[in-house]
Amino acid sequence: MRLLVLITLWVGRPVARGLLYPICSYFLVFSGGAQRTSRDYLRRILNRPPSWTDVFRHFHAFASTIHDRVYLLSGRHRYFDIHTEGASALHAILAQNRGCILLGSHLGSFEVLRAQGIFDHKLPITVIMHEAAASNLNAVLHNLRPEIRDRIIPPGTADTMLAVKERLDRGEIVGILGDRLFNDEKGMACEFLGQTRMFPEGPFLLAALLQVPIVLFFGLYQGGRQYHLYFEPLADSIPVNGARRSETLRPWIERYVGRLEHYCRLSPYNWFNFYEGPDHARHSHPAV
Amino acid sequence: MACPSQPQIGADGALEQELAALIVDTLHLEVLPENIDPSAALFGEGLGLDSIDMLEIALLVSKRYGVELRSENKAALASLRALAIHIGQHRIR
Repeated sequence: MRLLVLITLWVGRPVARGLLYPICSYFLVFSGGAQRTSRDYLRRILNRPPSWTDVFRHFHAFASTIHDRVYLLSGRHRYFDIHTEGASALHAILAQNRGCILLGSHLGSFEVLRAQGIFDHKLPITVIMHEAAASNLNAVLHNLRPEIRDRIIPPGTADTMLAVKERLDRGEIVGILGDRLFNDEKGMACEFLGQTRMFPEGPFLLAALLQVPIVLFFGLYQGGRQYHLYFEPLADSIPVNGARRSETLRPWIERYVGRLEHYCRLSPYNWFNFYEGPDHARHSHPAV
Repeated sequence: MACPSQPQIGADGALEQELAALIVDTLHLEVLPENIDPSAALFGEGLGLDSIDMLEIALLVSKRYGVELRSENKAALASLRALAIHIGQHRIR
């Protein structure tokens, strides 16, 4: 894997991207589960039966963002053409020395923003994610630039949220992906693209307990070397009273789900939740 | 339910009970405070708490006893007993 990453960096992005075509074709033929999930999602978002090219395009967008992580997390993010909207919502909060939860999703990619935060020191952003998620690609990438490791908090340990609180207390940003449940995390059933799907309550409860604002974030891949980053304020302060009762949190979660749907329609091929079992959105390996 | 283990040196049974009651109340747990085994794990398998529950315990401990639990004090969150001992050593109220 390390050799593969070094070759990728050496030959450059345009050449290495050529390899994504045979790789995606392979998955198109051999990945039953991911393909079914893709078709099911595409049918709902496109409002028509998806063709082979739709599924291929979906896989290719996913493969592109994974591939781009090699460049982004090795500090080559300036190569990309990045368009940003709504960042003032975030800067206004940081200017007051307040911490904030940046709530993202598996629609698109967090990596462009992470790269800007780490290498340009523009944003003090730490993300909650599994260090060795799914593949050992993370381990290799994090070893390329060790400063990345300081910007990750692993989920699901006794002190995860204490570490999160410490960052927020310092007026920093903590990134959380809000569309998948970690293991046996508590979830709320919401309507999403005409189906019921479970969404975690954790980020909203966290914001209520610590009285920090939530800003939404979407980093959508637009093909070529283009990424569009969107920020939107979601909640300035969620009332802490009764936050333990799920129904108090429901309006905020539904608002998040509504915006998630909106951005799915904007960039349909960016939905990177490929492993949906019957128990929707519950995974033991959350982030790719 | 649980069979509390033998008290250890340094353990403060009264503080443990007070903490158990506070935790059950704050987190709306469906267990009686006196049935919590002081030496059982709070997080995960033992009492079944998650990391947000642990944060709420930290907030509660800060408010009530003036003790700030930080991520490097992870050991203090191991069990009710470990927490009571830590609070006993650092409390300002």
